[in-house]
Amino acid sequence: MTTTVPGTKAVFAEDYDVPISYMERTRDYYVALGYDNPYRWASFTEVPFAPLRTPLSLARVGLITTAAPYQPGAGDQGPRAPYNAAAKFYQVYSVTTDSVADLRISHVGYDRLHTSAADINTYLPLTRLREAVAAGRIGALAPRLHGSPTNRSHRATETGAAELLHRCRKDGVDAVVLVPS
Amino acid sequence: MSLVARHIEAEGIPTVIMGCAKDIVEHCGVPRFLFSDFPLGNSAGRPFDVESQTQTLELALRVLEGAPAARTTVQSPQRWSADASWKRDYNDLSKLTPEKIAERRKEFDVVKSIARAKREAT
Repeated sequence: MTTTVPGTKAVFAEDYDVPISYMERTRDYYVALGYDNPYRWASFTEVPFAPLRTPLSLARVGLITTAAPYQPGAGDQGPRAPYNAAAKFYQVYSVTTDSVADLRISHVGYDRLHTSAADINTYLPLTRLREAVAAGRIGALAPRLHGSPTNRSHRATETGAAELLHRCRKDGVDAVVLVPS
Repeated sequence: MSLVARHIEAEGIPTVIMGCAKDIVEHCGVPRFLFSDFPLGNSAGRPFDVESQTQTLELALRVLEGAPAARTTVQSPQRWSADASWKRDYNDLSKLTPEKIAERRKEFDVVKSIARAKREAT
């Protein structure tokens, strides 16, 4: 939906048609639910930057996901499953990139109203990355992709980050694509 | 995930994040970010739409190659739908009655205790 500006050819988007303020909405939501200690999102003034030194057509690319391996017996993890904390994982894991493992996102807060997680390719671009390798756009994929646990402790995230770096180094990657779900 | 990207980048390996939560990723501060203005869960493109997914990945790869400095965000030109009203629904408090709020709080406490038990067992 749009609004035409009177006397001009300009057509403006609706006021709400901007990227969602997730931090504000989440904060307000939990305050409304009666929790008085709002979550504090990480924030830094300094941001590291390492230029890509190898042309992508020669580079080995790694993939990191927050999706979780399907766990039989851990409840509904299918499309539009309600938020499922039992399907969470707390250790970094790695699986081959030779085939597409059964990875799900019922353990995170994706938008269950407007999407369904029925297509793994919306949150895990592994097949598209393999196609990019076949097309010569990327030199190679790392032999395995890695899973990054989603939890709310910054200390646990730091430990996980160190482990993920260690595994990426072992894989000999020149660059990494990270896809939160 | 932003913290992971920062950590890997700081050790010399370039990274790009593909994501849908613009404010959270930019608040943290990451080297490169391909933002899709889609409902959470579609960081890699639209469901059952190979062309959308291919274009999304291609943009992320270009960001990887071409970002001139840290905190580079590129927004995908793809639209989720012509009607943007889906953006109003996320945690929309105006739709919550006091009964619903009590129900949600109860659900959240259950979910938290499941996560805690699982974390402690790991």
